[in-house]
Amino acid sequence: MRPSPSSSIGGRLARSLVLWSVLWCAALGAAIWVIVREEVEELLDDTLQSAAEGLIGPLANSLTESVAPSTVAPASAPTGRFTWQLVSYQGGAHLVSSARGAPAAPLHDTPKPGFSDVPGWRVYGQATGRDAQTVYVAQSTEERVEAGTEIALAALFAGAPMTLLAVLWLRSRIRRELQPLRELSDRLSRYDPMQPGATLGAAEREELRPVHAAIDALAGRLTRRIAHERAFTSHAAHALRTPLAGIDAQLAVALREAEASHRPRLQRVRTAAERLQRVVAALLAMFRSGAEVQRSEIDVAALAARLPIEGLAIDAGGTMPLNADPDLVTAAVLNLIDNAQRHGARSVTFSTPGANVLRVHDDGPGVDPGRRRELRAAIDAQDYAGRTGLGLMLADLVARAHGGDLSLPDSANGFAVELNLGPGEA
Amino acid sequence: MRLLLIEDDELLGGGLCDFLRTDGHAVEWARRLGDVEAYRDEPFDAYLLDWQLPDGSGLDWLRARRKSGDVTPVLMLTARDLLQDRLRGLDSGADDYMVKPFAPEEMAARVRAICRRSGGSAGAHIRVGEVDVDLVARCAWLGDERIELTSREWSVLEALVLRPGRIVTKSELERLVLGFESELASNAIEVHVSSLRKKLGRELVETVRGMGYRVSTAS
Repeated sequence: MRPSPSSSIGGRLARSLVLWSVLWCAALGAAIWVIVREEVEELLDDTLQSAAEGLIGPLANSLTESVAPSTVAPASAPTGRFTWQLVSYQGGAHLVSSARGAPAAPLHDTPKPGFSDVPGWRVYGQATGRDAQTVYVAQSTEERVEAGTEIALAALFAGAPMTLLAVLWLRSRIRRELQPLRELSDRLSRYDPMQPGATLGAAEREELRPVHAAIDALAGRLTRRIAHERAFTSHAAHALRTPLAGIDAQLAVALREAEASHRPRLQRVRTAAERLQRVVAALLAMFRSGAEVQRSEIDVAALAARLPIEGLAIDAGGTMPLNADPDLVTAAVLNLIDNAQRHGARSVTFSTPGANVLRVHDDGPGVDPGRRRELRAAIDAQDYAGRTGLGLMLADLVARAHGGDLSLPDSANGFAVELNLGPGEA
Repeated sequence: MRLLLIEDDELLGGGLCDFLRTDGHAVEWARRLGDVEAYRDEPFDAYLLDWQLPDGSGLDWLRARRKSGDVTPVLMLTARDLLQDRLRGLDSGADDYMVKPFAPEEMAARVRAICRRSGGSAGAHIRVGEVDVDLVARCAWLGDERIELTSREWSVLEALVLRPGRIVTKSELERLVLGFESELASNAIEVHVSSLRKKLGRELVETVRGMGYRVSTAS
């Protein structure tokens, strides 16, 4: 069974502890009950036996002195729930003498020495050795149960506070033992393996050493991978950007030197080369979108004015400043409006509908609701291949790199994209 | 203007050289830092410098030039686009920084801008007495009349107005205008200065006897 995402080790341990404490208390109580019952029964039986042996002498003497047996009561005779009978079995069982409150009939119809049970009584019988008489000492079952219960409850009540104290102490101990995990979490939140000399620090518990080692190993692998990617991006940037600049420079010269009839064709080639430059810049920016974001304040109107786009009216009036990486945002916006232009838009409006949110809205044909849903699903799942164009993919990656997201709000006309650029720096 | 382009890529270097030359500039092209040594004592209006060169870092070369007292304006041309790269480039002594790919027209405009600022002028127009020199349109106005100048005449005028109040020796002016062609025509500068005086007035260019030429611009 998978644990719920919100379950905590401390909570789970505490719940287990409480459950096991309850079970322990129940088991302990049962054990005490059984043991105490046995011991109390034994003790009471010993008492019965001692009482019976103690009664035989006085009863014998009193009967020798021709005192009416039914009125004879030895000085030590117990009363109430503890009673006795002297029964003669000559010519059938008949009561010779008994304590006050004792049953009116003999406890046994036949002589029964030793311990026995009759309804409501625990009985010990012993022959007196005279006239087939047997003395029975009895204790009520109710009294015996009550005595056992009182002792068991007393034991339980004495044990429960100890158990409660143990539970509280163990909970506190669990918290203390889990503290290194919380500290590890704090350290990890501050840990940046890309910083020179950054380490996670020594493990505070033996059990956490493998975790520290695994994290350090992971950080090492990530650091090497990022370094390789940065090196690759740097090489790719040089390998791609320089020839593109060369192509543009050569085309610019060719345009100057060419006959007038050849210039439109050359100009189209140059326009295509410029678009290729933007795509390459976007791809390189996309590699960078996994890297650290360099936030600064962006004047949206100034950014719009610098965009190398021709034949498209851009309105960025009334926009609020953004706090984001200017290069990444420029790359994203450039590709969005390049998309808009290629889909027939004549104008694009920039607006800032929320804090650090940039909306790019064009006046093109837009997309139908079904296609918009497909695009949203592709963006949410980050499953871009074959489902979105480069512009939306790059814009989404840029937004995510800033800790935000990309949304495609409904619009009555044209196509709108909103880049949420996350919480800016204070 | 006389420019030194330090760029190893043949396609880009060739394109930029041709583009700038069609703009009327004298351009020398060094493909490696080692080649730059050949221009050690040559005057230039600006350096166009790539960062990653086959035999070293353009940025290290720039730092060394600045340390040696060379104040020639520098425009970095590089594929390195990260913010920290741009900051490093500018903090190492570059006057401007362009990320490849770029439009050569913009690059030419930035070269003009850093040279203007180096000469103490922020705007595109420089006033010399009655003459208004338009550095963007590459022409001069005498009152309301536009004066047509040849490419060489313009180069001489530009070299002088970008060094306002400073005596520019004849040999320096020759190399700024003609580059290595100056050795082929030793009296070319006098001819162009004389022509400028005829078109724009004798007081435009002052001859400092035995030393060179000077123009005094008005603010």
